[in-house]
This record gives sequence, structure tokens and C-alpha cells, in this order.
Amino acid sequence: MTRSISVAYAVARKDLTSEWRTRELVPALGQFVVLALVIANFGFQIDSRNATVIAPGVLWLALVFAGLVAFGRAFAAEREQASLEAMLLTPAPPAAIFAGKAIAAALLLIVCEMVLLPAMTLFFGTPLNPALIVAVLLATVGMAAVGCLFAAIVARVRSREVLLPLLTLPLWIPFIVAGGQAVQVAMGASGNYNQAVALLIDFDILFLVLTSLAARFVLDD
Amino acid sequence: MTRYTRLAGLAVLLMLAAGALIFFYAPEDYLQKEPQRIFYLHVSAAIAAFACFAVVLGGSAVYLRTESARADRLARAAALVGVVLTTVTLVMGMLYAKPIWGTFWTWDARLTSTLVLWIIYAGYLLLRRLAEPGQQTARFAAVVGIFGFVDVPIVYFSVTWWRGHHPGPVIVSNALPPEMLFTFMVTMACTLFLAAVMVAIRYRIETLMDEAPSPASAHLVGAAAREPEPAR
Amino acid sequence: MSAIVAHELTQRYGSEVALDSVDLALDQGEHLAVLGDNGAGKTTLLRILATAARPTSGRLEIFGLDAVRERKALRARIGFVAHAPGLYPALSAVENLEFFCALHDVDRKRVPETLDLVGLTDVARRPAGRLSRGEQQRLAIGRAVLHGPRLLVLDEPDASLDSGGPDLLANVMRDRTVVLATHDHALANRLCQRTIVLRNGRSLGAGTRLRVVR
Repeated sequence: MTRSISVAYAVARKDLTSEWRTRELVPALGQFVVLALVIANFGFQIDSRNATVIAPGVLWLALVFAGLVAFGRAFAAEREQASLEAMLLTPAPPAAIFAGKAIAAALLLIVCEMVLLPAMTLFFGTPLNPALIVAVLLATVGMAAVGCLFAAIVARVRSREVLLPLLTLPLWIPFIVAGGQAVQVAMGASGNYNQAVALLIDFDILFLVLTSLAARFVLDD
Repeated sequence: MTRYTRLAGLAVLLMLAAGALIFFYAPEDYLQKEPQRIFYLHVSAAIAAFACFAVVLGGSAVYLRTESARADRLARAAALVGVVLTTVTLVMGMLYAKPIWGTFWTWDARLTSTLVLWIIYAGYLLLRRLAEPGQQTARFAAVVGIFGFVDVPIVYFSVTWWRGHHPGPVIVSNALPPEMLFTFMVTMACTLFLAAVMVAIRYRIETLMDEAPSPASAHLVGAAAREPEPAR
Repeated sequence: MSAIVAHELTQRYGSEVALDSVDLALDQGEHLAVLGDNGAGKTTLLRILATAARPTSGRLEIFGLDAVRERKALRARIGFVAHAPGLYPALSAVENLEFFCALHDVDRKRVPETLDLVGLTDVARRPAGRLSRGEQQRLAIGRAVLHGPRLLVLDEPDASLDSGGPDLLANVMRDRTVVLATHDHALANRLCQRTIVLRNGRSLGAGTRLRVVR
């Protein structure tokens, strides 16, 4: 068990260090979400009255697309495949390797969320409170697990850019339904926040367990 | 006549018999009138589709356990038939909905999760088509098949929860007159039989495709259908 | 003591046959050269021997263990230099090796020794992406021997190595069982006692020291 943790830590650290030194993904994602907000403004004609009604939807759209990019990249690049194989040829448990990559990808998406949420407050005047942040973080965890699993599956397939959303989005729907509700309440709508968050936690646990069981079938040969 | 042709012929006859029951035996619904007759096939197709996806789940789980090529083939065959049946369910549902509810679609739990089901297994089929055939692809597909099956009740539950206590329109009223119930039971049995025959035929096709190099398989399948099967 | 026993190894991708019933036997400490043109199946064979791929059919035993069932245990004793180096370009040579120490669960003290062995001590702190092709190949070789494997599988390691390459390879191959794929017959003669030649996935024959034919 400690071995798995140290492997996952080493893998996550390696991915994050690489990203920090090349700074490829996070700036691109940051720009993407800001652009998404700008387009949403024109597409929905957002003003101070309808902002809290439309904003949750915009938030999830931006998050879903950013998530697909972030998780897709965890396994996608050609050289990633060769280095993934090198990792699998060691005695390190594949589930731990997967966990490390998923954690790193989730953290990168969270950094992007730290841009998205304040930007929404800035542009649309939506509130930024701990309730909102907790809801988004909880959803990110579960979405990362499922997203990375399917990213690993489609990594070696043609048309993976089309296949990844097709496979992943149906499994993200529960997170978006529960998370969407939580975000709406956090932004001022009426509803049951605690119930929504409890549901998010349940989904997180369920999908974390399922993906950790599935990881060794997907990663190892 | 191969046994597949015989089975297929029997399935078609049974469906025609069910159709006769639907149109000539079952009484017209008091409230919904003629369109209500769609319900027999619509619900039967839905149930048969779920049965197919349960077979995909079983085949996928067995494959992950034992790497049996047959389990994988069964999953593949059942997935294809299941997607076809789900398409039928959705289309008939839309045809049924328009005259009764006034709209083709509504985002209630049942429709949403059926649509999601369709998307998941269409994705399953697309994955199999786009990836190189082999053990690894079979394993990936098995994971997708299992996750997909687990996801559908979760989506159903999520949407129900989200809608609070405003359920969508009820499709089946609880009290069916005996003629309708009988018609429905017969239609469902015939549809399940049809589904089973389609899966069996597709399984045979997949077996032939697995055993032969791809360009030749098309003509092989044709030849196998024409040749008589050895007597058993 | 036998290191590798392979019987009728076959690899099929859909309808394409990459490897067709290849037999192979290698004792511990022996060096085997795998020769053949591009597309002959060398890489496929090597990947199977390194447990990076599973054969469609056939039996393979490495150090007496079944290569498919016991692959986890075997991987600790096998080092593989693949066609693509698979290094992390943003990480330095040292960091690359330290990462694999963590994965192999071996002491990080081995890193400086390994860098010394492959002659990369001077550029140890440079990001792997900025090393020359020859240096990257050396690093890949270093990574393959980091955990002290008993079997080394090398897929055309000489292809991008610079002038000190053959000596480095001889050094690294000493006291280990090695399977080496190469186009270079002279190198094969120098480093290996046994050879096997592949064409179109089939073995044309195995033998000792192949004399240069072409």
C-alpha cells in the first residue's frame, strides 16, 4: 500500500514537474476558459439580472471542455505512449501509475478552475464563496478519474478527439447534474446544497472505486 | 435452409403474429385511441434492449476474467442488437409522444437515461470499429461496456433526484385490461425471441469474421449462409 | 542454465501476421543478435521477449517462468531499450533515472553509478530534451540497466549511438543475457555469439556467429 502511494506520488510529481517546466497546458486552458466566458457573454447576452441563472451552465460547459483537453492530454502524446510503456515494464502497480497521472491531471484542471471562478465573478458578478469552490472541487475529482480512464483507453485509437467526449460525457452526467445543482444553490438559487454535495461525494466514491478496479485492465497488457 | 434462416423466419412469423394481435385483438384505448398501440412494441423493444445490454455486461465481465474470445464475441453481437433495439425504442417513443403529450421529447429520467444508454453503446461500437481488433481492444471495450451499464441507473437516479417530485408523464397505466395485458406479454415474448435470434446470427457473423482475413470474410459470410449446415 | 525458451511464437494483428512460429533458445550469459530487414518482425519479437507485448500464440519461458503469467515478476529482471526512447524531455537525466528508481523501488544511489557507466555524468543536469540523439540513447540504455536486470533486450541501440557506442554496449552487456536487434552485421559479430535471422516474420535459422553475407 505504501508502495502504491509512493509510486502514485512519484508519477504525479513527475507529470506536474514536466508541466511546470514546459508550461504548455495550463496557460492554454486558462486562455480557453476566459475566451469561453467572453463568447458566453455574447451568446447569452448576459447581464446582471440573468447572470446567476445562466452562469452555472456556462461554468459546466467550460469545465467539461477544459476537462476533456486536460485529461485527454494525460495519456495522449506519442511520446507519452513510449514512456507509459516504460513505466509499465517496472514492478510498479499499474493502478498506482494511473492514480498518479489522474491526480496530476486533476490538479492541473483545478489550477484552471482557479482562473475560471474568479473570472466569472469579474465578468458576470456571480458570487465566489467556499460552497461554490467545494462543489467544483468535488466534481473535478470524480470527473478526473473517469476522464483519465477513458483517455487511457482512446489514446491509441484513431479519431480519439471524437471518441473521448463520446465515451466520457455520459459518465460525467451524474456529476454535472449534482454539481450543477450545488453550483446553482451556491450562486443564490433555491435548493438543497447539502443533498447535492452528498450526492457528489457518493458519485466520487463510486467512480473512484470502479476506476481503480478497471485501471489495471486498461493500462496493463 | 440453414438453421439461422429457419430461426429468422420463425422470428418474423412470430412478430407478424404479435402484430396481428396488436391491431386486431387488442381493444382501442379509451383515452389515447390508436396511437396507444405503439406502446406494445415500444416497451417490448426497450425491455429487449436492456436484456441485450445485460448480456453485454455479462460477456464483458467474463471476458475480463477469462479472456474468452467467445464472451467477447457475444458482447459485441449483443451490443449491436441492443443499439438497434434502443434506436427503435427511441423512435417509437417519439412517435408515441407527439400525439399523446404534444411534444416529441421531454427530459424526464426515463427518456434521458434511454438516450444516454444509446450514446454509451453507440460509443462502444464506435470504439470497436476504430481500434485495431485484438485482445487489448476487447479489454477496453469490456471496461466501457461495464461502466456504461453501471452508469445508466445512476443517470436515471440523478435525473429523478434533480426533478424532485415532478415525475414525467406516466407511460403505462397500472390497470391494463386483460386483452391488452395478454397482447403485451405476447409481443414482449416475440420481441425477446427476435432479439435472441438477431444476437445469434450476429454472433455467427462475428465468429466468421474472426476466423477469416477481412476482405474475404464478406464473401465467406455469404457462402456460409447459402451452404446447408451439417445435421446435428 | 536456460534463460529463454520460446516455442512457436506467433503474433497476429487482425489479419496481418507479424511473427510466424518462431522458435528460440538462449542460455544465461549468452548474447543473441536478431537480424533481418525492416518489417521482418525484429521489433515484434523483441517486444514479446521483453514482456512488453503478448504473443497471439506460442510458449515463452524466461528464467524458467511463464512469460505471460509471471510477467510482473519477470519485469524486475528485464531491461528493455525500445525503438522510441520514451524519456521525459522536461526532466534532467538525473531526474529521469531517479523517477525510475522510485518505480523499480531501488536505491537512488544507483543513479550516479549508472550515469557514469553510460558516460553521461557531465550532462547529468541537462533536460533530456536538450541532449543529443546519442546522449538520449545512452540515457535510455542507462535506464534499462538501472535496476540490475539479468536479461537485456535492446532494439537497435546502435542506430543513434555515437562513436563510443560499441564499447559502451560491450560494457553494458557483460555478464548479462542479451537479445540485441541490429542491422549492423559487424556489430552483431563483435558482440554476440548467437544469431537468428528473421524475414517476413519467420525465422530463417539460428546459429552461431553469422558471417557477413552482403
